Amino acid sequence: METKGNGFSAIGKGLPMVDARDKVTGLHDFGMDVALPGMLWGRVLRSPHPHARITHIDTSRAARLPGVVAIVTGDDAPRRKFSVCGQRLEDEHLLAIEKARYVGDEVAAVAAFDEDTAEEACTLIDVEYELLPAVLDPFEAMQPGAPLVHEHLGTNVATHTEFVRGDLGEALRQADAVVKERFSLPYFHQAYLEMNSCAAEWDSEGRLTLYASTQSPALSRGSYARALDIPPERIRVVQCHMGGAFGAKLEYKLHPICALLARKAGRPVKMVNPRHEEFFAGLPRVPMTIDLMFAAKKDGTILGKEIRIVADNGAYINYAHAAMLSALLRHDNLYRYQHTRAVGDLVYTNKVTSGCFRGFGNLQGHWAVESLMDILAEELGMDPAELRKINGVRTGDTTIHGWKILSCGLQECIDQVTKAAGWEQKRYAPKPRGPRKRGVGLACCLHVSGNRSFVPMFDGASAICLINAEGQVRILTGETDMGAGTRTAMSQMAAEALGVPVEWVQISTGDTDVTPHGLGTYADRGTTLGGGGVMMAALDAKRQVLELAAEELEARAEDLVIDDGVISVRGNRDRGIPFRQVTQKAFIRKAGGMIVGTGTYIPNGVSDIDPKTKYGNISCAYPFAAQVAEVEVDEETGEVWLVNHFAAHDLGRTINPLAARGQIIGAVAQGVGHALLEQMVYDDKGMLRNPSFKRYLIPRAWDMPRALTTILVETNDPNGPFGAKGLAEPALIPTPPAIANAIYNAVGVRLTHLPLTPEKVLRALKEKRERTARPEAPR
Amino acid sequence: MKHPLGVTINGVPYDRVVESRRTLLDFLRDELGITGPKKGCDAGDCGCCMVLIDGVPMHSCLILAAEMEGRQVTTIEGLARGDQLHPVQEAFIRCGAVQCGFCIPGIIITAKAFLEEHPNPTTDEVIEAISGHLCRCTGYLQIVDAIMAAAEAMRVPPQHA
Ligand code: FES
Ligand code: FES
Repeated sequence: METKGNGFSAIGKGLPMVDARDKVTGLHDFGMDVALPGMLWGRVLRSPHPHARITHIDTSRAARLPGVVAIVTGDDAPRRKFSVCGQRLEDEHLLAIEKARYVGDEVAAVAAFDEDTAEEACTLIDVEYELLPAVLDPFEAMQPGAPLVHEHLGTNVATHTEFVRGDLGEALRQADAVVKERFSLPYFHQAYLEMNSCAAEWDSEGRLTLYASTQSPALSRGSYARALDIPPERIRVVQCHMGGAFGAKLEYKLHPICALLARKAGRPVKMVNPRHEEFFAGLPRVPMTIDLMFAAKKDGTILGKEIRIVADNGAYINYAHAAMLSALLRHDNLYRYQHTRAVGDLVYTNKVTSGCFRGFGNLQGHWAVESLMDILAEELGMDPAELRKINGVRTGDTTIHGWKILSCGLQECIDQVTKAAGWEQKRYAPKPRGPRKRGVGLACCLHVSGNRSFVPMFDGASAICLINAEGQVRILTGETDMGAGTRTAMSQMAAEALGVPVEWVQISTGDTDVTPHGLGTYADRGTTLGGGGVMMAALDAKRQVLELAAEELEARAEDLVIDDGVISVRGNRDRGIPFRQVTQKAFIRKAGGMIVGTGTYIPNGVSDIDPKTKYGNISCAYPFAAQVAEVEVDEETGEVWLVNHFAAHDLGRTINPLAARGQIIGAVAQGVGHALLEQMVYDDKGMLRNPSFKRYLIPRAWDMPRALTTILVETNDPNGPFGAKGLAEPALIPTPPAIANAIYNAVGVRLTHLPLTPEKVLRALKEKRERTARPEAPR
Repeated sequence: MKHPLGVTINGVPYDRVVESRRTLLDFLRDELGITGPKKGCDAGDCGCCMVLIDGVPMHSCLILAAEMEGRQVTTIEGLARGDQLHPVQEAFIRCGAVQCGFCIPGIIITAKAFLEEHPNPTTDEVIEAISGHLCRCTGYLQIVDAIMAAAEAMRVPPQHA
């Protein structure tokens, strides 16, 4: 797979991942595989109650169990509260003090010689609880008199936000059609296969080293410093290879708890969450209930939009406030609205804390928007693709929230994906008789490449490029690779910038003692911003190499080129000298020193976002996408299969087409999970009913469509390195609404609450039959 | 309770004493440092821990180490012959079937055993064969491509110059 003739040597090549060989031979070690000499094993004791006062903890029986070395409770943890990076509402203790606020809340932890002993010791800790009434539903939690999750706040509403642009009243006055609907999504678990893990050790000077699979060593370091109440410079976070993360592994409480245990035990401690604890106490996607309205003209122009969201924060605040913002505002930049209003309440409940998941709140927002677009198209008698094209933003637009769209492939994505899918034919052909009906549905999205307002201190990224005597290139970056191929993409970018083969480049990611401070991998910033930093560092190193080569070749540096590891005067490759000859010379001249290139990439035109209005250009480049799902629905059983899928993505520039296709397929799989299979189910006692892969169903191979067409649209963004924008998150966002829209096309029922299970399909079909049997009944 | 255990792992004989309740997976990972088999659930749901026992793929998280007396266990580390990767491993690399890689050791073990029994599989048979495995990254399609490509490579006898 290759993007032909793009004038690049490494960019656009469908190379296998740089670590693929290690991964297929079992040599690739993950966070979970870390073993430190003399280490103990730790386990967490979690609350079995959704809301309870802790009146007494007795650890004496556990302490007497042979093999137990250390036990920590809230008394061993700092009294101060903390939260995640940039979060001013600090509401969490490292271990519960006074109260437990959800089933899974961390109450104590044990370190022992082996895992079984640590687990057994947890069962021997006697905790006296006084049960409190729990509040599980965010709407109930907003009612006066509801039990308070955090009493001192005086309310369960963690944040209330409201944004108005233009005048929605004006839009309603001018509108020919108004459509509205309520949509919802439950907790979805990221279900990465490597469970959260950590190994912690302290040196004699009180310095902590944490080995953790984390998406952001730098953000983690800051948060854990607050959690442990020690200065950040005493903490070194070493990022281990991640076995999937998808947003869940930005910062996680298990890591500082492990540090606390290791300090008390005076020995290294390793902890791994068992799978069921991942479900009980992970950081799943923020559940939302979304009321959405569009006001439009007959010709399809959408004048106004109103969105109201009630979101479930769970017991503590994580990044749900930012996910809320993204759900409220981000999709407004996809279409040319003139008047919008967005109102959001983020509400505490006695359930698991909700957090980040690929697509962030943008997936939730798009679920509603892209479903209501189809409802509006039907109301206006328009084709859904046409309606989106009429309203879609275009290159050069400044959107209603001040986003500067410098490259936009939305129209092209829609055109190409509908053509590939055979849209006209499949959408409008009469349905065959019989219980199995097919249909197609379209959904679009936009996303960011880095998000200034999420972690506001800066945007951009830095890297260091080291070249040793042998000409081997090592990039140090604070960014991370979740397993999606960031290091591979960075190798290709560095190789391209330097003019050397990709195999000469190696990427070292996050180690807070060694690498530059990188914000980490989230908001699709890895390739665009992280890659931008790598490119700048490589170019700086190249400049130094060329200066030395200029002496050697008796030419001016600006006349030299490096091509496939040979340095020569432009157009004179056969008189060139090997790259290594110059790096050898540098090595001797610098008495063993390496060539050190440093690079900082600060994208153009990204503004400080007004904290009140959120107006401003939050990202340097915006990726776009359009997907068409083709489903088959069995009207007798309610089952839905995704039989065929088409995905067109404006990713700016394809760095690696093989990896890009992999990102899209993997995202579509998660979209199938969201649309048809997945949900965390809580009972009325606040207990999670399905904390295992037997009961929380993620897609297996047989749940996937047999055919998946991926279309890469290159718009060459002026800001992205080599023109590249984000891809991995937007690949998931349109899939659930595309599937819902396809179900509507197949059998004429509109489903609004994810996941779209057979029961919901059957119920909707029954309601539809009853409606058509009594045509006079109001809709 | 402890049991003496004599077992061959990736061709190497081991004589150990194991706790009776120790799973094969924990024994491999924590006692022998053979960390290729991964623990994704410890409950037989994900397939990350798959190993071959006398050539048959089994979930090592569901088996007790003590039962392995006299058996031949092959983990992902045992598939390559020196530098020569197994055709399934080669195909996984080439086809982009690997993302984070956590599920990959288990899936490759299953695929190898499956292809030895079914040298001419259909796509549907491959999908069926790996549907006991979970992968959260790839969406499986490139894994299926890789297994089909490996089948082809295994059917063609190696060329000797
Ligand atoms: S760890 Fe054995 S099946 Fe998941
Ligand atoms: S490659 Fe990550 S779980 Fe399969």
